[in-house]
Amino acid sequence: MKKAFLILLGGLLLCTAAFSGFYYIGTASCRSMMNEPQPGLAWLKNEFKVSDADYARIVQLHEAYLPKCGERCQRIAELNSELEKQVSQASTVTPEIQKLLDQRAKMRADCEAEMLSHFLTVSRMMPPEQGKRYLQWVEQQAFLNGQAMEAHHH
Amino acid sequence: MKQNDDRDKGVLEHVLKQWVVDAPLPPGFQNAVWDRIARAEVTPPSAPGFWALLARAVEMNLPRPKFAWAYVTILLLVGVLSGTLAAQRESTRMNAALGARYLKSIDPFHRSPSD
Repeated sequence: MKKAFLILLGGLLLCTAAFSGFYYIGTASCRSMMNEPQPGLAWLKNEFKVSDADYARIVQLHEAYLPKCGERCQRIAELNSELEKQVSQASTVTPEIQKLLDQRAKMRADCEAEMLSHFLTVSRMMPPEQGKRYLQWVEQQAFLNGQAMEAHHH
Repeated sequence: MKQNDDRDKGVLEHVLKQWVVDAPLPPGFQNAVWDRIARAEVTPPSAPGFWALLARAVEMNLPRPKFAWAYVTILLLVGVLSGTLAAQRESTRMNAALGARYLKSIDPFHRSPSD
């Protein structure tokens, strides 16, 4: 009985050890990326096989892009706030409201153009095949083809 | 032949009728017999349950080398396979989360499907 119990226990321990080991090894790269200072960029490097030199340039580009993006977002938030204020005081679409809507649309269009420009620049820093795949992936994410807006109507 | 059988039977009956058992019965013999009959009637022998059968099968078969190796190999394979599948699922989930995080850093207004 003792021998049978030991074999039974040994098998279960081996099963648990195999599960844990393979799970640990299989998720190691993702966990390592999660612990990077910039996990999103670490993922980009890994996913699109970016070389170290190109990665350094992409990080530079990314860091240069963020403050400008932050300024545009801030401007859009201000326009949203102003628009809310105007709408709460009006019963029709006043010229001021129309002007704010135009400004916000222009600002959003500028944002999208800057984003597209950034994506294209980043794609050029990757190996050609990976750059193409990167742009395809970006397109699938719905915000360059206006799907996010259209989704509200379906 | 039949006559011989009848004669033997008659002799046997005669001997049995004359046979007197003079050895005394142990004390409480009759009571013990009735007790055993009563116990047998109250608790009829039940079939062993699933776990008892399993325990018996494990006890009998697992110490045999062939069964032991087969058992350990199967459990090892189950561990490897389930660990690999779980890791793949988790990696896919983490990759999607990291991709969404990258996009969010470039487009703060971007809404991922999970939002």
